Amino acid sequence: MSYESPIRDQLVTGGKTYRDVTREITRPLESAPSKGWWFGFSLSTIVLIIWIYATGYSMVVGLGAWGLNKTVGWAFDITNFVFWVGIGHAGTLISAVLLLFRQKWRMSINRSAEAMTIFAVICAASFILSHMGRPWVAYWPIPLPNAFGTLWVNFNSPLVWDVFAISTYFSVSLVFWYIGLIPDIATVRDRATTAGRKFWYSFFAMGWTGSARTWHRYEVISLILAGISTPLVLSVHSIVSMDFATSLVPGWHTTIFPPYFVAGAIFSGFGMVLTLLIIAREVMNYKDYITEEHLDAMAKIILVTGTMVGMAYITEFFVAAYSGVEYEQYAFLNRAFGPYWWAYWTMMSCNLIAPQVFWFRKLRTNPTFLFIMSIIVNIGMWFERFVIIVTSLHRDFLPSSWAMYAPSIVEVSILIGSFGLFFFLFFLFIKFLPSINMAEVKSIIPTHAHADHGHSHASHAHEVIEKGAVHGN
Amino acid sequence: MENKNQYWKGLEELNNDPKFLESKKHEFAEGIPLDEVFNESDGELNANRRDFLKYFGFSISAVALAACNKAPIKNAIPYIVKPENITPGIPNFYASTCNACSANCSILVKTREGRPIKIEGNADSPIFKGATCGAGQASLLGLYDNERLRGPKSKGADTTWEKIDSEVPAALASAKSIALVTSTINSPSTKKAIAEFTAKYPQTKHIRYEAFSQGAISSATKEAFGIEVVPGYRFDLAKVIVSFGADFLGTWISPAEYTKQWSKTRTAENKNMSRHIQIESTLSITGSNADVRYPIKPSAEAAYIISLYNKIAVLAGAPALGSLPPVELAINGIENAAKELWAAKGSSLVVSSSNLLGVQLVIHAINQLLGNIGTTVDLVNYSNQHYSDDLAFRQLVQDLTSGSVDGVVFYNVNPVYSYPEGTKLAEAIKKAKVSISSNSNLDETSENCQYLTPDSHFLESWNDSEPKAGYYTFTQPTISPVFNTRQMQESMMHWAGNSNNFYDYMLANWSGKLSGDNWTKALHDGFYQETLTAAQPKMTGSAAGIESLAYELYTNNKSKIELKLYAKVGVGDGSNAHNPWLQELPDPISKVTWDNYACISNATAKELGVKDGDKINISFKEGKLEALPVLVQPGQANNVIAVAVGYGRTNGGKSGLNVGINAYPASLLINGTHFYGQMDVKVEKAAGSYELAQTQTHHTIQGRALIKEASQNEYSHDTKAGNHDHHKAIKDSGNLITLWSERDTKGHRWTMAVDLNKCTGCGSCVVSCNAENNVPVVGRQEVLNRREMHWIRIDRYYRFRNKDNNNITREEEYNLESTGVDFENVSVTHQPLMCQQCGHAPCETVCPVLATVHSSEGLNHMAYNRCVGTRYCANNCPYKVRRFNWFKYRDNSQFDFNFNNDLGRMVINPDVTVRSRGVMEKCSFCVQRIQAGKLKAKLENRIIQDGDIKTACQQSCPADAIIFGDINDEKSEVRKYFQNDRAYFLLEEYNVQPSVAYMTKVRNVDELLNAPDAHGGKKHEAPKAGKEVEHHS
Repeated sequence: MSYESPIRDQLVTGGKTYRDVTREITRPLESAPSKGWWFGFSLSTIVLIIWIYATGYSMVVGLGAWGLNKTVGWAFDITNFVFWVGIGHAGTLISAVLLLFRQKWRMSINRSAEAMTIFAVICAASFILSHMGRPWVAYWPIPLPNAFGTLWVNFNSPLVWDVFAISTYFSVSLVFWYIGLIPDIATVRDRATTAGRKFWYSFFAMGWTGSARTWHRYEVISLILAGISTPLVLSVHSIVSMDFATSLVPGWHTTIFPPYFVAGAIFSGFGMVLTLLIIAREVMNYKDYITEEHLDAMAKIILVTGTMVGMAYITEFFVAAYSGVEYEQYAFLNRAFGPYWWAYWTMMSCNLIAPQVFWFRKLRTNPTFLFIMSIIVNIGMWFERFVIIVTSLHRDFLPSSWAMYAPSIVEVSILIGSFGLFFFLFFLFIKFLPSINMAEVKSIIPTHAHADHGHSHASHAHEVIEKGAVHGN
Repeated sequence: MENKNQYWKGLEELNNDPKFLESKKHEFAEGIPLDEVFNESDGELNANRRDFLKYFGFSISAVALAACNKAPIKNAIPYIVKPENITPGIPNFYASTCNACSANCSILVKTREGRPIKIEGNADSPIFKGATCGAGQASLLGLYDNERLRGPKSKGADTTWEKIDSEVPAALASAKSIALVTSTINSPSTKKAIAEFTAKYPQTKHIRYEAFSQGAISSATKEAFGIEVVPGYRFDLAKVIVSFGADFLGTWISPAEYTKQWSKTRTAENKNMSRHIQIESTLSITGSNADVRYPIKPSAEAAYIISLYNKIAVLAGAPALGSLPPVELAINGIENAAKELWAAKGSSLVVSSSNLLGVQLVIHAINQLLGNIGTTVDLVNYSNQHYSDDLAFRQLVQDLTSGSVDGVVFYNVNPVYSYPEGTKLAEAIKKAKVSISSNSNLDETSENCQYLTPDSHFLESWNDSEPKAGYYTFTQPTISPVFNTRQMQESMMHWAGNSNNFYDYMLANWSGKLSGDNWTKALHDGFYQETLTAAQPKMTGSAAGIESLAYELYTNNKSKIELKLYAKVGVGDGSNAHNPWLQELPDPISKVTWDNYACISNATAKELGVKDGDKINISFKEGKLEALPVLVQPGQANNVIAVAVGYGRTNGGKSGLNVGINAYPASLLINGTHFYGQMDVKVEKAAGSYELAQTQTHHTIQGRALIKEASQNEYSHDTKAGNHDHHKAIKDSGNLITLWSERDTKGHRWTMAVDLNKCTGCGSCVVSCNAENNVPVVGRQEVLNRREMHWIRIDRYYRFRNKDNNNITREEEYNLESTGVDFENVSVTHQPLMCQQCGHAPCETVCPVLATVHSSEGLNHMAYNRCVGTRYCANNCPYKVRRFNWFKYRDNSQFDFNFNNDLGRMVINPDVTVRSRGVMEKCSFCVQRIQAGKLKAKLENRIIQDGDIKTACQQSCPADAIIFGDINDEKSEVRKYFQNDRAYFLLEEYNVQPSVAYMTKVRNVDELLNAPDAHGGKKHEAPKAGKEVEHHS
């Protein structure tokens, strides 16, 4: 049900009709790929090959191929893992939380954001796998019944919680995303002209008819899944943060971590959504669907969450000073003024200082500026995890074991390669699936536009749209 | 009646139906239709489709199942006839004698299924008392050295012993003059064999040669007392020890024995703890353990020794040596040393590593003045552990060059490498009519010799030794020779025309003293001791003569940069350079592995404009040492560059190749003895940089309460001195809280105590642990990557003082460079760190798969098979003792050490898993030994006695610094240590409940090491919490 406020701006601009929506959003699926797509896809495939090679190499040779050592047992691997899990959070926040809060502006961006979530979690999971000394037994942390008697997992270990958190997150996100895709897949199926397309889209549309009953069930399941997903926004990164918070490493052992990590995750996630959508609205010409208002809203969220993580950084310092624990105090001094000071100050400037520019609306709505900022935010958030992991580990309790860490070429390749994996999946997604939720967007285009462009808003203020009628053209 | 319980299967059986009887014979009611399946005539399958699928399915699954076994097939062939005394799985111990150096410590060799796998000290030995050093522990690996010569060679070609025995005597007979060059020989039977050889070839001259010579000591003893011996030093009887550069805890004469003696006097509870003053040029491990240490230039040493003599002479009322003005150390060091020595006369000891005859004479005279002859300097129970005829050897090089000596036999010496003019010697050897080398590897000397008659490893040999007068220790073979080698004694006998084997020869030699059961007992015990009752000789020779030279050196050399050569613990004089265990053993002081380097003091480095990682060229009159990496070494005397010998080997085993630079060419010959150094060198910065592989790169405790120490003064008033935070703030406050439920503490509770007072940092435990626990060698690059695998490490921390000789504060410790501390003046503490076996282990809670779990006996177990390799445990270990298998370290040419060849792998302890790639490992408290001890007690139907179970590190520790046992055993020694007021735990405020207690280090100094208000519970350096943040932010 849609209520059109007389004073609010249109969520979709350009006076689109239902037909326009369908045609414009299915165009990339039905026409030959553009040069831009080919370029992006080829580039990400090449980077993906780097990822496959580097990951494979470290699995064959051993983790000695990385720069880790006896003191620093995690570095790029877990930094990248937390980074990618964090990226995913915005997708869930947009699709689930904003659905529950009935924020309609989410409708044109939630599909891509959810896809981003899924691909980011795949990237994150790849780091769980590759950071293991023996990845071929990666299933052991899963509590599977086995023939070894009492052999079981350690439910005290945050890594086991991680296994649950990440697998739950991935499966719920995947189901939510797929359910949301079904009406649109049905639209594509109905427009299909070749047998192959018809077959595959029919298969994935699962016999969608568009009847009132299916729509009803669709709505209900969407709400239920949103309900399930919403706590995940908070729980997944809380649990990831417990990998650190429950340890006794100075700099990790901090109760502030769960909220701080969730804020950071949303911060970085929106950064990534911005990066993707700014590209998409340029390349796919979706400017009417992803408007400056969307960018403005996301920039506001970045401002809020960036300030939150900034406050957490400062709080950590206060707590270290206040605690009287010399190891804790040293860990934080070492972060800011030790050999990795540059990483710390990169983090501080990217995450706390840079987003403060978003107090100005002019900058919040400037796509070019936003694009640069979104990259800065993601660099900052990557460094946040690097700072937490490496600078805490490299100088902990006994000075005799203090060591430095520097990544090997293999680790750098895996980090870069993971972007290849991500964008490879993303390019496939925008080619084969509608990257904007047509069904939902149709519910928010101005209803008068369908009949008559000249009518004033006020006269249609109470018009109700039957969504059941809107699929197809 | 019999058929009472008979049931019939049916009427057919009751009726004995013939058809039924027939079918009863078959196992299956219906026959197996094999005929239907296989067609006999054409061999084809007759199966129908369903049968085919059945067979197909079976075959596929059978093949799949068979393929599941990935392990390569290796045949383990059992004994057909079980040899006596060998029970698979049960080790046998043989008493023997270590031959890694000429100290000849008595050892026990552990063999499993006929393979020697571990060397332990022989605790019954009255001299060595179970002490072993790292080099001795590692000599086991020499047996399994894949690059040993595999048989005799003649002029580069393989040959047989028969041919050798026919060719060599003829060649020897034709030589007009023969030199037999051996290392120190203290074996009576070997001496007899040599005598037989020289009798057969009377033109033979026997020359004793040691690479790192201390020959001046025995020469001086000869001049002063008339006997050419090294005195039997008794550090255990010495209340005051003054050592001029003698690294008697590390490398000097018989370090394991001396460490045992020295540690006896370092019991803090004993009010008469010895006072140890070290005056040296570069920081040795002996200096690092001294109570007081003065850095001096090598050239000044003689002047200081003479001054010490003169100061004592004043106290003794004896005439002074010469009339030159006295020289004095900072804060009247010499004067005070003289007073202290005099106060303890008769139980004091002065030693020096100087290889100048005159200096050693003064040392003898000092000990004579102090009345130490017969007590701490025993000339009846003297030592046979070091002889070197430096002058004779120099003569030999000249004679070989001139051709007047045309036959040379090298018996386990490698002078082409270690003699300053090695290349000249190599040319000379080539000129000789006959040249023979018995060295085990094709080393620098052997490659120039015609005949190579490789000696067997000492673990394959019979021998006897007399390291101390009247103390005989026997060597018995623990394995039959791995290669076609022969004991050199036997070779010499054969060439002398005696075709006996050496065992019978030795037996016959002993028949006068020991025979029958006595002989068997001596072999079983490993030693035989005679009581010597001769009177101590009096010093007759004069010590005068060196004063003016000494003073001249002292005054003229003040501003010159000098070079000092020293031997490192482990690699030593270079004969062990190809032993990867020793190369990877971190230097106890610098913590550098796989290299030698130029140690330079901070001030001198600044003057020269060099820093860590730079390279320098050191040039002197005779030549130069090129491209040596710089190590700025605290405690190093200013204007002295110290370089270790023993590196830069060019042949003889790949592990020692391309490692470091050979520093021997920088040694001098002064008055016929080797002087290991140069008085005036020019230093220039060379191009390039070089990173040394150190296992520790931060050297201070940053003011943290990791090392606790007190002065003897403080400790005598307060046994809790220095340890108040443990007693007040932690132990008694009850403030420690935990989330976990307390563990059951019944049954055994294995714990360990480490006495920081005794630990010298020598590294014997590290090598012992490597051997016991199959710890892989990873090589220089991986040590640089900070991935050494050692399960036990020795953390070495420096404590600095400022220029006013006060301890520096923590703030200053953070910023040493700008504080202006005195880098020459340093206090050192060695802290061994193994897994602390925490009661509430942080590693256990974080492992996702329960691969590391707590045992009911207080141990923290590691199940390698279960480990998935997340490394979370290592991150969460506050002690950083966990080691990850970054690579596969066996069968991997990237790690071409002993795990990469079949022979080298024979050293593997079968009781300990060889870990695979990707799993975590760590110290297990030698759980295999605990298990063996428990089983033994069970078999003997008794409870375990304290001392039944010894961990490898404990057993090998020559200082008895490691005590292991069951704390629930009320009589156990470890319990006493835990109840000692000195005991504290590392990071105990974290309440991880470690099972390893450290004992506060008590230094025998008067100054206060803890501020008087330390009774409040805070350590002196620690400022109030928060203050530090203020200071830095």
